[in-house]
Amino acid sequence: MKISYQWLCDYAKIDRPMAEIEEALTLIGFEVEEIESVGVPQLDHVVVGEVLSKDQHPDADRLSVCSVDVGDGEPVGIVCGAQNFKVGDRVPVALPGAVLPGDFKITKSKLRGVPSAGMMCSAKELNLGDDHSGLFILENRPEVGTSVNEIFPEPDTVFDVEVTPNRPDCLSVLGIARELSAWFKVELQYPEVKHAVSDGSDTDHLLESIEVLEPEACPRYTAWSIHGVKIAESPEWLKQKLRSAGLRPINNVVDCTNFVLLETGQPLHAFDSAKIRGNRLQIRGARANETITTLDQKERQLLEGDLVIADAERPLVIAGVMGSLDAEVDSSSSEIVLEVAAFESRGIRATSRRLGLSTDSSYRFERGVDPQGIEFAAARCIDLILETAGGTVGGRPQSEGRPLDLVSEIEVLPEQIIKRIGFDVSDNDIAEAWERLELEVRRPDSPSKPWTVSIPSFRQDLRGVADLTEEFLRMYGTDRIPEASVGCDTVSALPESPIDLANRAFRSHLVANGFNEAFNYTLISGDETETWQGKAGREVLAMENPLAQDQSHLRPSLLSGLLDVIRFNRGRARKEFRFFECGRVFREEKGKIVEKISVAFAVCPSAEKNSWLERPSVDFYAVRRLLEDLVELSGMQWVPFMIRPTEGLPGWAEKRSAILNHPRGWQVEWGALSRNILEAHEIDDPVFAGELIIDPKCFNSATKKKVSFQAPSSFPRSVKDISVVVPKGELAEGVRSKIAKFASKGTKGFDVESVEIFDVYEGKGVTEGQKSISLSLQYASKDRTLTEKEVGKAFDDLQQRVAADPSLSMR
Amino acid sequence: MDDDISSIICEAEANVAAVSSRAELDEVKARFFGGSGSFTAFRKKISDLPKEEKPAFGKKVNELKSGLEAVFAKAVRLSEEAEFQKRLGPEVDPSLPSPDISRGCEHPLTQVRNRIVDIFHRIGFSVVEGTDIETEHYCFDALNTPADHPARNSQDTYYLQQNSQVANVTKKRDEERYLLRPHTSSSQIRTMLKNEPPIRIISPGRCFRRDTADATHSANFHQIEGLYVDRNVTVRDLKAVLDYFVRELLGSDAKTRFRPHFFPYTEPSFEVDFPSGHLGKVGSDWIEIMGCGMVDPSVFESVGYDPEEYSGFAFGMGVERVAMNLYGIDDIRYFYQNDERFLRQFS
Repeated sequence: MKISYQWLCDYAKIDRPMAEIEEALTLIGFEVEEIESVGVPQLDHVVVGEVLSKDQHPDADRLSVCSVDVGDGEPVGIVCGAQNFKVGDRVPVALPGAVLPGDFKITKSKLRGVPSAGMMCSAKELNLGDDHSGLFILENRPEVGTSVNEIFPEPDTVFDVEVTPNRPDCLSVLGIARELSAWFKVELQYPEVKHAVSDGSDTDHLLESIEVLEPEACPRYTAWSIHGVKIAESPEWLKQKLRSAGLRPINNVVDCTNFVLLETGQPLHAFDSAKIRGNRLQIRGARANETITTLDQKERQLLEGDLVIADAERPLVIAGVMGSLDAEVDSSSSEIVLEVAAFESRGIRATSRRLGLSTDSSYRFERGVDPQGIEFAAARCIDLILETAGGTVGGRPQSEGRPLDLVSEIEVLPEQIIKRIGFDVSDNDIAEAWERLELEVRRPDSPSKPWTVSIPSFRQDLRGVADLTEEFLRMYGTDRIPEASVGCDTVSALPESPIDLANRAFRSHLVANGFNEAFNYTLISGDETETWQGKAGREVLAMENPLAQDQSHLRPSLLSGLLDVIRFNRGRARKEFRFFECGRVFREEKGKIVEKISVAFAVCPSAEKNSWLERPSVDFYAVRRLLEDLVELSGMQWVPFMIRPTEGLPGWAEKRSAILNHPRGWQVEWGALSRNILEAHEIDDPVFAGELIIDPKCFNSATKKKVSFQAPSSFPRSVKDISVVVPKGELAEGVRSKIAKFASKGTKGFDVESVEIFDVYEGKGVTEGQKSISLSLQYASKDRTLTEKEVGKAFDDLQQRVAADPSLSMR
Repeated sequence: MDDDISSIICEAEANVAAVSSRAELDEVKARFFGGSGSFTAFRKKISDLPKEEKPAFGKKVNELKSGLEAVFAKAVRLSEEAEFQKRLGPEVDPSLPSPDISRGCEHPLTQVRNRIVDIFHRIGFSVVEGTDIETEHYCFDALNTPADHPARNSQDTYYLQQNSQVANVTKKRDEERYLLRPHTSSSQIRTMLKNEPPIRIISPGRCFRRDTADATHSANFHQIEGLYVDRNVTVRDLKAVLDYFVRELLGSDAKTRFRPHFFPYTEPSFEVDFPSGHLGKVGSDWIEIMGCGMVDPSVFESVGYDPEEYSGFAFGMGVERVAMNLYGIDDIRYFYQNDERFLRQFS
């Protein structure tokens, strides 16, 4: 809200530097977003001049060469581009040495060969509004040579303050003045109302009747009759005030209503009585298919929930929001009906939002208007109308609903305040802070009895002791809250979030492996979603109200985002890129959404050699290693026999990718991404990637691995190698675990410590369609050295079992 | 005889010099010491000698033997040395760069988040993670937000489809809608519902607003929420904790300004500013860093705490905003563009 300093001073004489007022506003909760100076600043060498002659410039059609009397004896020659003046006009003249607003220095110069010793000024050049269409003609002809500072009022300062939603009372100059007078301890003077509301005859009403059909939406409606006004331009002081608040002056009656709205925060509306058909007003819900053309010249469709002020035939005003062209006060108006009413905020908000029409009036009704401010605002407005447009008042208003009595009281003990703020202050300090804000404090004689604080009607936001605490702190000054050291009486009993710990571990591991962390958006396109979770995912993960088509679905995977990151960076450098992300993903499971934890990474090797020494690039198995590490860091256990090649997943390249779906609720997918998805992301190099997705419930049930020490064996191990031939499609892990099982069956009194694959071979010596897998077995005992005989026996046993198994053959 | 010895040793040296592998070396050695080898032939000469010369010849045999062995031992050493050198690879130019990929870096938002979280860790706050999906109740109702508050509007907040079911986010009421949380304050409510005071938590997470992206708006962003509930928590404690935080973040001389403000779920409420000078900037501007306040009694009532017994404070800040201030970043979209040249500046 824009607040003019000069306007503020009409109610509170705050004779302080602007910087101090700005700081005060900020410290009591009204952040100053901008300070603007309006009006002519202190200007040297800018004086009133009179144009003595005006001739065409010899070399420029649009310029004229003038001789101007600036009261200095000798007239000065000035070349001028403006067209709107004539010989004899008096205008502001900036002479050499002057510095105009915007650091515009005036010097002697030549324009197209003709010397020019100064500049005649427009209104804008003197910081008097935006008019730059021509020279500022001084119609009242001040004396030639006078400094412009002598003929214009002192510049004003306008504070643009942020008013929080709980303080609708401060959406007014008076409200802000009240706060500042409380802070600076300066007396607040309310404007004096000269015309008692009972002036004039009560029977002299313009309307036959007013009728409120929606008393809940409109708890109070008053209509004041004013006869015989003369519509004209407003006086300069009034226009100036409206301009300072960013409003455009219209005519004296409308300007008065706007002035009072800005002054008190109470919206008002003036009707031209002659345009009210049937001579009556009805406050009712809009009817189906009713339309209204509002003052901004837009035709608007009304809905049944909208509240309107209507005459006998049609709606004239969208209640509390905006009037229509149909009942506008214009130059022909003379009989005025002035509406001052209370409207319930919820309805106004709904209508204003639906129509996308926010006005000074609707903004205040939405936030809440002082229910007791109606009479004062009406009287003040009538005063101003009579003063600026003449006319007489038609006595007390026609009204519906009762004056709303909303004064409330809060009981409070000063100790309650001290307990909340945590430092000592005197009872008087507390009481005085509230009283400055026009709260009435009644302190009983007995100190154990609570005080009673009466809350004025304009402070509906004050409801309890917590609110009073804030009021005290605002007036006491938050800068006076004493410093203290952090108290540690208690420590949080809550455990550290396992998700946070896991994410930290993921990040440091991937960073150590050369990956840069990316942050991508949670919402992705429907097509991307379908890539990872099919049609069902696309349906379930869609948002109700997406803003854009490419941000319409919850992401089921982090990989889409990482591919975008790779594409973006590949466009800028030809080298290997490694990126990862930790974040939430959303999976469709049996028609429901499950929010999960994810960590994903992707590597796009460079297509060309770009280092002096080549290194093998990342492959499927490197990705698997990283994923195994991540699974372990998350506290889960990698289970190799659950690994399956991917099938029918459009994101992954077939036979180059795998999936491990653990029944506990976590899964990994990894390998090479499919050509299709890479093409969709405009990437033509292969990308190896992996993703671990964990249901957060896994962390609840994850028991921390208990470590119990076991002495390593000090006896040597016996190593035996075996090669078996299996069909090419067979998974090696199945073969390995089978051999391990067979091997352990043949040992007596000692162990098979490990069975590991050390070679996989296809080609010469192995039948087409088959592959040979070579495994190395380690036999060991904890308490002795094994004899060659017993190991030989165990190995013979293993070979027999292999030979007997139809799916395996010895090589 | 001595000539014989030296010629045999010379022969051995010549043979050894010609070999190129350990196996060949063993072969040469065997040849000298084998049945028809030079050494054996020399030794056999002893049988032709008269008895009194035999001891002296025996010494000569030993002399030859050790001489040969020395030759072979030296050759073995040299061969091993060469083998090892080979495994060391070619000579290096230490000025050449390593071709291997360097350590990556954490995203600046992660770094700032962790920096903030770690400060609160030191004064006894523990991390609680909420969910990105939330419900109207936990984001608005329980936080004292009026039913027609603009933040609830579908123009400002992302909603899930009306009939959506979310397996792992509980609703308070059947008919309420799921949404993407517009702030992290909902985790205050869920934490208080699940635990009794004292509570001292910090809850970082992703939030969403239905905004068109520009230099200061992003469809998703990150906040860090803090909550402390106990008996006798005061405004002064709030200031003490946040002053500590700002000093840890910006330096021990950092100042704060508590500006009264409004939030539906705290009363009194403040915004906290610090002077721009702490970022090494000229000028006397104040920069907003977070919002905070004493928990509104109505919030305690909604989670079943007695507002007469307990009091507490809550605070929240935007991670992007803090990061932008700390690093002088002027456009929030940099964080989500993931330009490597941007990210690496924070490694």
